[in-house]
Parts: sequence; C-alpha cells; structure tokens
Amino acid sequence: MFEPDEELIGRVVRQLRRPVAVDPGVDARVMAQIARFPARPGPGTARAGWRWLTRPRTVRLSPLGALAIAAACVAVVLARPDRDSHPAPGSAREFGFVIVAPRAATVSLVGDFNDWDAARTPMQRARKAGSVWTAVIPLSPGRYRYAFLVDGVSWLADPAAPAARDDEFGTASSVVTVGGS
Amino acid sequence: MGIESVGTSDAEVVRRVRAGDTGAYGALVARYRDRLARYAVHMLGNREDAEEALQDAFVRAYRSLERCDDAARFGAWLYGILVNRCRTTGARAAKRGRVFVRDEAALNGVAHPSAAEQTEGEDAVRWALARLTPEYREAFLLKHVEDLEYEEMARLTGAGVSALKMRVKRAREQLQTILREAERV
Repeated sequence: MFEPDEELIGRVVRQLRRPVAVDPGVDARVMAQIARFPARPGPGTARAGWRWLTRPRTVRLSPLGALAIAAACVAVVLARPDRDSHPAPGSAREFGFVIVAPRAATVSLVGDFNDWDAARTPMQRARKAGSVWTAVIPLSPGRYRYAFLVDGVSWLADPAAPAARDDEFGTASSVVTVGGS
Repeated sequence: MGIESVGTSDAEVVRRVRAGDTGAYGALVARYRDRLARYAVHMLGNREDAEEALQDAFVRAYRSLERCDDAARFGAWLYGILVNRCRTTGARAAKRGRVFVRDEAALNGVAHPSAAEQTEGEDAVRWALARLTPEYREAFLLKHVEDLEYEEMARLTGAGVSALKMRVKRAREQLQTILREAERV
C-alpha cells in the first residue's frame, strides 16, 4: 500500500478551500422565509417565560434515575378518523399522543408539526391527578419527528415509536408516519 | 481550528433572536453563509442543490433555535444541520440520476488565477471529488477543507472517530488514484 501523495492532496485542499460564490439572494430568501413564521415573543412576556421554562435542556441522570424515568414513562400514538369537532386541512387525520408520566407536573408535545414549540401543544392529564397525559392533533400525510418535554427539562423520545435516525438537533426524537387516505 | 464564531458572539445574537429580534438572525446568516456554502457546493457538486440545502439549513435552524443547547456553539450546531441537509439533498439528487456536472456559475465572481491549466486543474479536482462516495467526500471535506477535529466531525456526522479516520484515509487514497489516472489520459 502506498502512502498518499501529500503534495497532491495539499494541492487539492488548497483548491477546495478557495471561496465559492453562491447567489447573494440566499440571505434575502432566508430572511423572507423566516419573516413568515410567527414572531417570537419579546422579553418579559408570559410566553417568553414559558418558552424559557420549557426550553429543552440536556439532563444527566444516574443509571437508577434513568431507569426510573424509563419505567415511569410509556407513550403510545393512536390514530382516529376525522372528527367534526376538529376540522383538519385536506386529508388530515387526528392523532392521539399519549405518555404515562406519573411524576410530571407538565408535559408538552413538540415536533415538526408545531415547529418544536413547547408552548403550542401542552398535553392534558387524562383525568385529574392521573398519570396519563394526552394530546390530539390533526396530521396530514407525511413523516413527522416528535418528542415529549416533561416538566420543561426532560426531553424524551417516544419509547413506543421508532427513533428518528436523522435527528439533526442533537436530542433524541421519534417518528410517526401518517399514510395517505 | 474548529467551528468558532467571531465578532459579536453567537450567543448574544442567538439571545436577541430568541427574544423576538428576527432581524438579528441576518447577522448569523451573513456570518456563516460563505463557509457553509463552500461545503455544500463541494459536497453536492451543484450550486442549485447547494443553495437549496443552505437555505433549508438556515431556516430549519431558525425554527428550531430553542433546541440549540449551547448558543455559544451555534456555528457547530448549524453545521450539523447543514451536513444532514446535504445528505438528504444528495440522496434525492442521486435518485434523480443527477451526476456531477461542470458548474461554472459556482465559481463566478471568485478571484483566482485565470490560466487555462488552473481551470482544468479545478475541474479535475471537482470531478475527482464527485467520484468519491458521499461518506468519503463528507469526511474528506470536513477534515481537510473545513479543518475540523475528528471529535467534532463525530458529533456532526454521528459516525465514530475510527470510522471517520478510515474514511478520510480512503478518500485521500482514492483522490490520489483518480487524479493520477486523469493525468495519464
């Protein structure tokens, strides 16, 4: 086996490190696109406080603690046909997300469908002081990544769903695929 | 060298954006556009696809800014998103049957020697790069062009350090073989 030619590789690298021009309109297109999203709340608002409270954080747990959370949290996703009380666009179907989290004070459903905004889909206890949390949302056919945010600090993938292998944000998440009707 | 920010800290700009100053995000776009564009163009071999991946990465990063745990390392986090977008875009282009094409526009406006042999050399390098598998090309670009440490590359790609070292080694060997063969033709 020969050794790579350092001089040749050096020449390749020098060429590839030169600046590459792209359309300067990229900046404007990005800014125009994000301007269409709902504005982030300014500081001091209640929503900003909620966002801070529910911002995902990495939580380090002892093996025992992790085992306890794993045992305490069980989640399932249930689909049901459209209901008149929840009109959905196009061929959307209502999906129920359920997580069992007996010690949680708050649980939010976050995913591609709500821009990972913890304030938009708070989950509700199925019954008072119960351990089952639910959220029902309309989903059009497609593939969605999602996760649960427990007490604003614990970011949990759905143990009952496939993991999102292409998660690009550094935190675990799950995948639900909604088929066309 | 890693993926570090300069000037007004990324953390400060990210804080402003999170507080509702959408316009501040433009500073982050301007800061990282050129470097990310270079990676995307070389990775995808096509300016149109590269711009799509670049734009998508910036927009996704904005929408998910709350998921950036360490705002001071926004650049590294953004880079990871772009690496993923390039994988997705590249796979889609492969399904379309797109192969590497000479992309003169990608170098428009860039100052470099204009000698004919220089252009030929650049074409040869891009042609050789495009013949690598996406995994080898990705590893080679991140290591040698973007000058990242293997640990940083592992965080961005999800691959192990040993695997990345092997990919870089193979990429170097294949580039050498391809370019030497091209010189003999």
